[in-house]
Amino acid sequence: MAQQPLPSSVQPTDVYGGDEVSAIVLDPGYINTRAGFAGEEMPKQVLPSFYGHITSSNRDVFGDQAMYPRADFEIRNYMNRDSVVEDWDAATKIWEHALVNRLGIPRPTPPSKNGLNNKPKPAAEGEDVEMADEADLDETENYEKPMAENPLLMTEAAWNSPKQREKAIEICMENWACPAFWLSKTPVLAAFAAGKATALVLDVGGSNTSVTAIFDGMVLKRSVQRSPVGGVWLSSQIRSLFEASEPKVEVVPTFMVENKKPVEAGQPADARLKTFDFQISPSFRAYEEERVLKEFKESVVEVWRGPGRYLAPGNEDYAKNLPGRVFEMPDGSNQMWREQRFKVAEGMWDDNAAFPSATEEGKITKAQTVPGLIKAALDSIDVDVRPALLANVVVTGSTSLLPGFTDRLNHELTAMFPSVKVKLHAAGLSSERRFGAWIGGSILGSLGTFHQMWISRKEYEENGPGIVEKRCK
Amino acid sequence: MTSRDVHDVLNLPSDHSGAPRPSKKQKTSAPRPNLKGLAREVQNLGGDNPIAIVPEVNFFKKRRFATRKPVAKWELKAFTNSARGDDGALVLRHWKRRTDDGAPPVEGAQDGDGQQQRGGGEGTPASEKREEKPEDSAFAKYNVKVVVPHYTEDQYHSNLQNNDWTKEETDYLLELAKDFDLRWTLIWDRYDFTPKPPGGGGDAANGEDTHTAVVPAPKQRSMEDLKARYYEVAAKMMAVQKPAQYMTRPEFELYEMMQNFDPEQERKRKQFALNTLSRSKDEAREEESLLLEVKRILARTERFNEERRELYNRLDYPATDSDINSFKTSAGLQNLLQTLMSTDKNKKRKSIMPGEGVSPSNNSGVPNSAVSETNPANRRESIAASATSNNHHHHARRDSDARTPATPADPTPTSAAAAAAAANKKKGGGAQQQPERRKLTQQEEQVYGVSYHERLGSGPTFRYEKINKLYSHKSGQQQLRITNALSELDLPPRLVMPTAAVTAQFEVLWGAVTALVDLRKMSDRLDGEIKIEEAKKAERDRAKGIAAEKEGEKEKGEGGAGDGAAAAAAAAAGEGEKAGEKTGEGGQTKEDGEKKRPGSSGSLTATGHKRSASVLSAASDKSSKRQKK
Repeated sequence: MAQQPLPSSVQPTDVYGGDEVSAIVLDPGYINTRAGFAGEEMPKQVLPSFYGHITSSNRDVFGDQAMYPRADFEIRNYMNRDSVVEDWDAATKIWEHALVNRLGIPRPTPPSKNGLNNKPKPAAEGEDVEMADEADLDETENYEKPMAENPLLMTEAAWNSPKQREKAIEICMENWACPAFWLSKTPVLAAFAAGKATALVLDVGGSNTSVTAIFDGMVLKRSVQRSPVGGVWLSSQIRSLFEASEPKVEVVPTFMVENKKPVEAGQPADARLKTFDFQISPSFRAYEEERVLKEFKESVVEVWRGPGRYLAPGNEDYAKNLPGRVFEMPDGSNQMWREQRFKVAEGMWDDNAAFPSATEEGKITKAQTVPGLIKAALDSIDVDVRPALLANVVVTGSTSLLPGFTDRLNHELTAMFPSVKVKLHAAGLSSERRFGAWIGGSILGSLGTFHQMWISRKEYEENGPGIVEKRCK
Repeated sequence: MTSRDVHDVLNLPSDHSGAPRPSKKQKTSAPRPNLKGLAREVQNLGGDNPIAIVPEVNFFKKRRFATRKPVAKWELKAFTNSARGDDGALVLRHWKRRTDDGAPPVEGAQDGDGQQQRGGGEGTPASEKREEKPEDSAFAKYNVKVVVPHYTEDQYHSNLQNNDWTKEETDYLLELAKDFDLRWTLIWDRYDFTPKPPGGGGDAANGEDTHTAVVPAPKQRSMEDLKARYYEVAAKMMAVQKPAQYMTRPEFELYEMMQNFDPEQERKRKQFALNTLSRSKDEAREEESLLLEVKRILARTERFNEERRELYNRLDYPATDSDINSFKTSAGLQNLLQTLMSTDKNKKRKSIMPGEGVSPSNNSGVPNSAVSETNPANRRESIAASATSNNHHHHARRDSDARTPATPADPTPTSAAAAAAAANKKKGGGAQQQPERRKLTQQEEQVYGVSYHERLGSGPTFRYEKINKLYSHKSGQQQLRITNALSELDLPPRLVMPTAAVTAQFEVLWGAVTALVDLRKMSDRLDGEIKIEEAKKAERDRAKGIAAEKEGEKEKGEGGAGDGAAAAAAAAAGEGEKAGEKTGEGGQTKEDGEKKRPGSSGSLTATGHKRSASVLSAASDKSSKRQKK
C-alpha cells in the first residue's frame, strides 16, 4: 500500500524543486538533434542532423523517413564536425521542423483559420514536409510565432563562438517568438544529468570527443579539450580495418541490396544489387554506409578493457583467444571478427595502435586520445579542484557505450592518478548516455530556481543578441 | 499470598530463583471472535487452531467513485520571479491546483498592487483573473548573492592604490568576483583582462604613445594574485567602513583572515598538493605506511610515559605509618581541617604536573605527624584544587568546599590503610583526570572568552587597588622614582580608566619601569664600586710607579700616563727578555681590549673577576640607557 504512488492531488509538487513551465529543450548534435519538453526523461523527438536536399526542386527534407534513394538527392548536415552549426538556414528549418511539426507544440490558431478555413490546409505529406516558400503570408505569419508560449533551452558545444550564440538567440526570438531563451553548454548539462555540479565530463560523441571540467555548474574554459576521436572517426577506423583485412571487405549499404543468399563465413557475397535509373549521390551513399558501420560498431566493436594497453605484450594473443563475433553485411557476406574488434577502438586510447588513416584528419596524436585529453584538461586547471573532479568523472555520449569503455577508462585513470580516488559516473541506461545533455537540459529547464535565469524577450529587445554573452556564461 | 510473594516483598532471594515466575493468567490464545450459532460450533471444531473462515464477498471491488470528491481542478497560472530583477517582465505559466473559487481574489487583494486592482475593477470577472498580478515564484527566495566590496573613486585613490593593479583591473576583478559568487576557480578561469590602450581620451598628450600602439600585454595573473588583491581590497574597505576595533568578532576574524592572506604560502601549498597528486602508487603506499609507523611509535611512547608516570606516583607516595590517635576525636579532626585549610591557602598555587609526583603538601609547614597522617585527604584536595585552579577558580573552590565536609569522615573508619588506599585510588583518578582536560589553544580561548587570572580574594575588588598594591610593596624611595619615571611618560600614577586591558598594559609598563629603576640602582652601585676600584688602582699605580722608576725610564713614562691597555702592550713589546708567561698575559689583556695594567699574574687573575663585573655593569648601563630611551 505504501508503495503506491500518491495521487496527484496529494503529491507534493515542489519537493524536488521542480516547477514546470512547459519549456522546450533543444539539443543539436552532429549525428542527432534532440528535442522535447523539459521535465520529461527522454527527448520526444530525435531526428538526424543530416537532411536531404533535392537539388532539382531546391527543397530540403527532414527525418529518417525522407532518406530514401531518389533522384537529385543529396545528404547534408547543418552541423560541422566540431558540433557547431554551419548552415544556419538549414538549422532554422530543421529545428522548426523538429519543434513545430514533430513536437506538436500547440500554437494559437490565427483568426482567419479558426474553424472557418477558406481553403483546405495542405495535408501533411508524412514526414516529408516542405518548407513552404510558396506558402501564403498568413501561413508564414503563423509560422513566425510558433512557440510564443514556450521558453526554449538550447545546448551548445563548450567551444561555441559568441557569434554562433548570438545567432541562436536571434532565431529563437525573431523567428519563433519564444518568451524566454537560455543557452547552456552540453558538458554542464551532462553533469547535471548525472546529478553533479562539479564534474569532469567526458563526452564521447558522434563527431568528436571532448573533456570539460565543470565547477559548480560552470564550464572551466581553460580545461576544454576536444579531439575528433568519436563515432565518425571510429567508422573511418573500421573502414581502414576493412581495407586492411584480407580479403577486403566491401561495405554495401542496405538500400543497394535487392536480395541475397546466405553464404559461408569469409565467402564472397551472393546478392543481387538494385539498379537505379538515376544517379545516387556520393553523399547519400556515404550516409547509408555510415549506417552499416554504425551497426558494426554497435554489435562488434569492443574496447580492450585493460589493464594495460592492447599493444602490451601478451594482450593481443589473449584477445585472439576470446570468442569472436560474426557480422553479416547487408549483402549477406559475413565474417568472424576476433582481435580486430578490440584493435579498432584501441586508437582512442593509444595513438600507436590506431589504423593508419588515409585522410589527414583521421590521424591522431597522443594528445588527442582519451587519456591525453583528460590529462590536458586536468593540467590546465587549479590543483585544488583536481581531486574533486577525478572523484566525479561523468561519462556520456553514445560512443562511450562501446562495451568495455568505462572499464578501460577506469584503468587508464587509476594508472594516471594512482594517489587520487577516481570515480566514474556512467549511466547504465543507454538512453541516458545517448541523451545525457538533453536530459540535463530537461532537469535544468524544469527547476523552479532556474526560472530566474532565463533571458526574457524583453531583455533581448532591450539589449540585442549580445545579451547571450553576458548572461549565459 | 504465596510464599513467593512474601519473598518478593521482603526482597529475599527466592529458593529457586532461577525459574521465572509464571504469569498469573497466561493467555493461551488470542481473544476469540464473538461468533454465534453455527459459526461458533464450527469454530470450536478446530480447537486451538481455529479454522480460517473467509467471509463471502459478493462484489468485486468497492466502487471507486462512490465516495470520491469531485475531480481536483488545475489551472494554468501565470507567475513571475522576483529574483530576476526585471519587475515581472517575464511571465511564465505553470499548472497549479486551483484553490477555492473565492481564494484567488482574496490573495490578490492582499498582495496585488493598486494598479492591478484598478485594471481588474474595470474588466469583467473573467478578465479580472487574467489581469491580476501574477504571483511570485516560490523559488525566488533562494536567490542569494555574495556581497562584494564597493568603493568610490576617492576611496580607491586614498586606500587601494597598488603598483601592480590599475583601477580598471581591480574593477574588473570585483565584477568577476560578483558574477561568479567568489568561486575562485571560475574567476581565475574566466579572468581575461585586456587593459585599454592608454590615451583613449587625451589624444593630444598621448599622441606619440598611440602611434607606437603598444598594447600592454595582459598580465598572467595566478589565482593567488587575484585572491591577494581581492582580499586586500576587501579588508581595506572593511576597515574603512568600520574601524577594526568596532568590528564584531566574526567580522574581525574575517578581517584578520583576509589581511593575513599570504599568496606565497598558498603557492607553496599548491606546489605540495601538486606533488601529492603526482606521486606514484608506491610512494603513496610508502607514505601511508610511514604515517602508520609514526602513529604507532607515538602511541607506544604515550603508553610508556603513562606507565612511567604511574610508577613515579607509586614510588613517591609517602608512607602513612604514624600515629593517628590524635585525630580520632572530633576536636582533633577540626584541628586537622584548619591546618589543611591554612596550608592550602599558603601553598603556592602551582599546578602539579602528573609526572612530578611530589605533592606540594610535603613541603608545607604542617607538623610531620599531621602531614603523614592527613596526606590522603590533603593530597587529594590539593590536587583537586591545583588541577582546577588552572582553569576555573570557582570550580576549585566548589570542589574543595564540597570535599572538606567529607574529610572528617574519611580518617575515622576502622583502618587508616583502607582510607589511604581509597585516597590513593582517587588521587590516581585525579592525576588521570588532568590530562583529559583539554588545553585550549589561543584561538579557542578567544572564541570561548576564557581567560586565566590569579586567585581572587573574597569580595569585590577594584582593579586600581591591584596597582596600588604594587606600589605599596616598594620602598618609599623607589615609589618616588617610579612615579617620576611615570610622570616623565605623562602617565598619572593612578589610572583614570582601569579597564582590564588598560590594567594589563599598565602592569607591563609598570614592570618595565620597576626593572628600569632597579637597573639604575644597580648601575649606580656599580659605578660607585668602579670609582672606588679606580681610586685604589691609581693608588697602587702610584706606588708601583715609584718602584718602576728604579727599573727603567720607559715603563715609568707609560705607567704615569695611566692608560692600562697601552701600558700592557708597551710592556709586552718592550720587555722582550721578560718571562714568557707575562707576555702571554699581556697579549690576552690586549685582546680583551679593556683597561688593564701590567702586573704579576696573581693580580691579573684577581682583576679578571673585577673586569667581568665591570663589563656587566657597562652592559647593564647600556641596557638601562636603552630602556630610558
